[in-house]
Amino acid sequence: MSTPNIELAKGLKETEHLTKVDFKMISFTLAGKDYGIDILKVKEIRKAGNFTKVPNTPIYVRGVDNLRGDIIPIIDLRTMFNLPAETKDKESQENIVILRLDSLVLGVVVDTIEKVVGFASESIQPPHPIFGDINIKYINGVVENAGRLYIILDVDRIFGEPEDVPEAAPLAKPEQAAEEVEAAAPGEPELPLDLKFVGETLAAFGQFHMTPLNRDWVSSRLVEWKKSRKARGLDFQLTQKDEADEFLDAFDSPHSGRLWTTEAIESLAKILSFDASSVVVWNPGCGRGYESYSLAVLFERSFSGKGYKIWASDNDLLNISTAPSLILEDSEVEKSWREFTVESKNGLQFGSDLKAHIVFEFHDLNHPNPLAEVHLAVVRDVISFLKPSDQEKVMTEISEKVRPGGFLVLGTNERLEHPEWKPVGNEIWSVYQKI
Amino acid sequence: MRVEYINPFVEAAYNVLTEVLATDVKRGNLFLKSATKPVMGVAAIVGLAGEVEGRVLFDMNKQTAMKIASVMNMEELTEIDDLVKATISELANMITAQAVTKLHELGFKFDLTPPALITGENMEISDQEVEALIVPMDTPHGSIEINVAVRERS
Repeated sequence: MSTPNIELAKGLKETEHLTKVDFKMISFTLAGKDYGIDILKVKEIRKAGNFTKVPNTPIYVRGVDNLRGDIIPIIDLRTMFNLPAETKDKESQENIVILRLDSLVLGVVVDTIEKVVGFASESIQPPHPIFGDINIKYINGVVENAGRLYIILDVDRIFGEPEDVPEAAPLAKPEQAAEEVEAAAPGEPELPLDLKFVGETLAAFGQFHMTPLNRDWVSSRLVEWKKSRKARGLDFQLTQKDEADEFLDAFDSPHSGRLWTTEAIESLAKILSFDASSVVVWNPGCGRGYESYSLAVLFERSFSGKGYKIWASDNDLLNISTAPSLILEDSEVEKSWREFTVESKNGLQFGSDLKAHIVFEFHDLNHPNPLAEVHLAVVRDVISFLKPSDQEKVMTEISEKVRPGGFLVLGTNERLEHPEWKPVGNEIWSVYQKI
Repeated sequence: MRVEYINPFVEAAYNVLTEVLATDVKRGNLFLKSATKPVMGVAAIVGLAGEVEGRVLFDMNKQTAMKIASVMNMEELTEIDDLVKATISELANMITAQAVTKLHELGFKFDLTPPALITGENMEISDQEVEALIVPMDTPHGSIEINVAVRERS
């Protein structure tokens, strides 16, 4: 290629993104926001109404419609994505985009259909990790055109998966959907969908991962949350980190991040029992150590004849570094606990006799652990914050490490359903005994 | 890894490197690692035995090793010869020894093995079931990663 040609090519490339149009989409609005669908997926647009309702379908299925002899399903995108939709009377006409996917033709109801927008496909930007209303999996990207921001929906993902199964399971694999229906209160068919949205939002904002371990809590918290948000005139969707944090505030077990009370200790001690003369305790995610010290006090008080060793760890270097010499405020320490503390030059601390029973380690729960067998594992509000696959791994590790007859203490709002573990807790303590 | 062990190693690495190189040394963020680890080119290993077991690994690339050895010997060294190897082994020994001395003062007793030096390309170190603390140190001559894997006999 000669030089001028190269330069010409270069010049072209620079202006290319301004002029090249290789992606066109139909733009429309849902609840006042702009969306787009790839024009190659769109068969036509039309107005229609008075659909024939089909019984026993998800609420976002408006019914079926006769498109010049073909019967096609009609899906309401606003309901599907939990967006507000104005209720029109039965006779009025809705705006419909008819989509042609691989094996399926279907119509989706939208608010208003605007126009065809064309632009260069490279100007499509990946979606931001969180879009309040619509799950990120269903978004192809975002594009700006003429001062407006369009969210491009991935209709293949929304309606296509899993392969060749039409709209029967657009939002979840069948077995997942089934599980969630179980978790939801009967008579509230929209809950599983909400639950899924909220669960995924929590994972993105709060590093909290919804699994069977905590799904009951998320589900009941959601009901409460919706009520309180409604009272404040707000939508229930979590769109910011503070909202996710606020949602999760109620998750923490009692006495998190501070010393337990004597009452709490006695209530837990009643549940526990040990045959061995020396008890090994595993306490991952101990934070600044309040939990580990409280456990030590529990053993001193309720199992005084037994030896015990507490292996405490956390992956937060700052927190765990302060744990071995945790300074206590006078007001934090119950009078009857004073016998375990000493005055140091920096303030009140636990005494060295008690400390000798605890080893604090800088350790990541996802990494291997040299501990062999333990009699008691105290893992409160830790596993819920691991990725679902890691949660499973850690649960397996706990199952391997806790001896038969040993105990596992989970967070108050965490539940375990497993044939190997027998629930023995009460309303404050979520405790399981290994069979 | 036990919290009490962390600081002695970090401090010893910082003190010794600052002293022998007579220059500013920066410590990177500490983190934990459990996967198999590729070695950058020159690695010195010091074993620990006693109440605890484990090892400390000093990992750097060849250029860094030569530059550090040059500074420590006050002469220009251009290849990984016996002098460079002996110098890096000694550096590993000095840092580990100082850390162990600090730990002795805190009441933890354990012994060192003589350092072993490994050089070569494309090597990996695999520890079975050990989580290592990584202390990255940045010097003007290049970076050194100090990889401490120590565990209590439980």
